[in-house]
Amino acid sequence: MEKYPNKMTVCDVSVHYGDKRALGGVSLDIPENQIIALIGASGCGKSTFLRCLNRMNDEISGCRVAGEILLDEQNIYAQNVDPVLMRARVGMVFQKPNPFPKSIFDNIAFGPRIHEITQSEAELKDIVHSALERVGMIDEVKNRLGDSAIGLSSGQQQRICIARAVAIAPEGVLMDEPCSALDPIATAKIEGLIEALAADYTIVIVTHSMQQAARISQRSAFFHLGELIEVDGTSKIFTSPNDPRTENYITGRFG
Amino acid sequence: MRPRSLLRYYGQNAVIWTFIPAFFFLIVCAFLSSILLEQYFLGLIAEAYPDADTANRDLLFAQMENVALGVLSTEDGVLQSLATDYAEFGNTIQRARGWLVILLSLSLAGFAYLKAMPQFRARESVEKVLGGLFLSSATIAILITVAIVASLLLEALRFFDVYPLWDFLTGLHWSPNIAVHADQVGFSGSFGMIPVLGGTLLITLIAMAVSVPVGLLSAIYMSEFAHPKLRNFFKPTLEILAGIPTVVYGFFAALTAAPFFRSIGLSLGLDVSSESALAAGAVMGVMIIPFISSLSDDVIRAVPRSLRDAALGLGATRSEMVIKVLLPAAFPGLVGAFLLAISRAIGETMIVVMAVGTAANLTFNPLESVTTVTVQIVGLLTGDTVFDSPKTLSAFALGIMLFVMTLGLNVAALTLSRRIAEKYE
Ligand SMILES: Nc1ncnc2c1ncn2[C@@H]1O[C@H](COP(=O)(O)OP(=O)(O)OP(=O)(O)O)[C@@H](O)[C@H]1O
Ligand SMILES: [Mg+2]
Repeated sequence: MEKYPNKMTVCDVSVHYGDKRALGGVSLDIPENQIIALIGASGCGKSTFLRCLNRMNDEISGCRVAGEILLDEQNIYAQNVDPVLMRARVGMVFQKPNPFPKSIFDNIAFGPRIHEITQSEAELKDIVHSALERVGMIDEVKNRLGDSAIGLSSGQQQRICIARAVAIAPEGVLMDEPCSALDPIATAKIEGLIEALAADYTIVIVTHSMQQAARISQRSAFFHLGELIEVDGTSKIFTSPNDPRTENYITGRFG
Repeated sequence: MRPRSLLRYYGQNAVIWTFIPAFFFLIVCAFLSSILLEQYFLGLIAEAYPDADTANRDLLFAQMENVALGVLSTEDGVLQSLATDYAEFGNTIQRARGWLVILLSLSLAGFAYLKAMPQFRARESVEKVLGGLFLSSATIAILITVAIVASLLLEALRFFDVYPLWDFLTGLHWSPNIAVHADQVGFSGSFGMIPVLGGTLLITLIAMAVSVPVGLLSAIYMSEFAHPKLRNFFKPTLEILAGIPTVVYGFFAALTAAPFFRSIGLSLGLDVSSESALAAGAVMGVMIIPFISSLSDDVIRAVPRSLRDAALGLGATRSEMVIKVLLPAAFPGLVGAFLLAISRAIGETMIVVMAVGTAANLTFNPLESVTTVTVQIVGLLTGDTVFDSPKTLSAFALGIMLFVMTLGLNVAALTLSRRIAEKYE
């Protein structure tokens, strides 16, 4: 297997909500330009872990994160790091499609505008167009960029959300069960899209679907009750896991 | 055979039958018997005092009632004996009524007891009665509203009989006091509502200019920026403002705010009236702040969490998130909240009665004194007034205008907030 450099390195991260520990002592490498899948039973802390990776947990009151997470060798929880700028480098796609109640164009232009990526309208248009191209939607929507994104189907909405995330050219994209609200056809489209995105972005995806993890990810990490049990190549995890708990989960004996 | 309903429903059914019909019977009886008694004794009074006209007979009846109650004594032997009869009649009727109610209640209890057979569907029967009770409460509320509006409308129509509607709506001059006495035939008072309406709008505008920015910004602060602990302190504190009686705001406006604005004006070389629209409007604005902030808070919190996450996840700061996502999404609901606040300001009475003049100046200068619809209504209907003079009747016309305006605003507010609810379901 080819060796990829690490985009992010997680060292001994623990998360508490108030007094309750949600995640303990997680250490994990996230290689560049690969897809890593986080799997595990409901409530085991996958979303919590994902939100640590771009400091979205800062927005939840009572949530404390301990440990180090390096993004390109720099600790994102260091004092001098601005979480707002940091989030522009690691984007996020959520479980439920959440386009803004604005036009398709304004949805995708939202990020470029607040980060003032460009001053010219023409360039902004180019950015929006290429983001839509990336998610394979340009032909579907190029004549209705002014329509509200709320009127789209939920599969289309989710792709708009992905386009919105890539429009600010992040280095990584975090996805929390991006297909769980979608039908199989929309899911297949998004999966194809995620695989294509991996050429340029480092992708961390939470999923409840074993098949999805097996189909698209190169590495998988299994979480159980707030702990990382094992992480390895996806085929290794799905064929000969080291830990019996992983095997039990994958074969459906619990969770 | 197993009972068709849970046992407790049989018990509830029995309680309903025992008390509810008897209760309504008691109310109806009390109502009817007092009417009958009154009619009967009015007849007796008419016989005893053949020269008394209707008004006098009513007066005599009231006197007799008071004599019967023992709060009045009389030298008039006829009235005295009538009063004695009246008291006796009343007692008898009351006693009979009591026994009837007890009898009814007991016999219905017996009926319910006999009905409590296993095949009786007690649950359905209880449900039906309770449903009926809820329905009748709702109907009563609606009927009362309709009755109030109807009586307002009737009086207003009597006013428009003597004063043309068009002149009322478009007249630029309001001076109702010219026609004080009903016997002034061909009265010459002038009832153009524009200056009164203008004063109301001016004060409302000032109130909104004070309350919208403060209320909205504090709502945004509380829902998006404040630490939960701080929020738990701020929110109840703001709500204390809402608990202050308006009469307190009224004397605050008259005794503190008005002189304050006047002295500021003086130091700037401006002539500020001591009953300036500015003082009343500003204090009214303060009164409305908690109203606006708590309504806006609700609207802002109704915007789904996922939209906030989306903006923050794209690297927006909190204030970018608020300005670019939250406020546009909440906009219709916020406008609805402001409209409700406007309708409150228009209908607000106590502050303006205490801090605003009665002279109907047609001006949009906030430093001058104006008058409002509510102030005029209070002025027209308090004190010694004759109830069918155009002066008093004009109060009802103003009342209808007030009603139409606030109704319109409330309907608009409701429509807007429904629209925002539809958008995010
Ligand atoms: N905002 C919060 N406040 C308090 N506790 C939380 C919060 N979010 C999550 N938790 C707790 O942290 C633990 C992990 O939750 P998390 O959402 O990360 O699980 P998950 O693996 O993503 O589950 P799912 O697969 O159902 O999405 C759970 O026990 C949950 O109750
Ligand atoms: Mg989750």
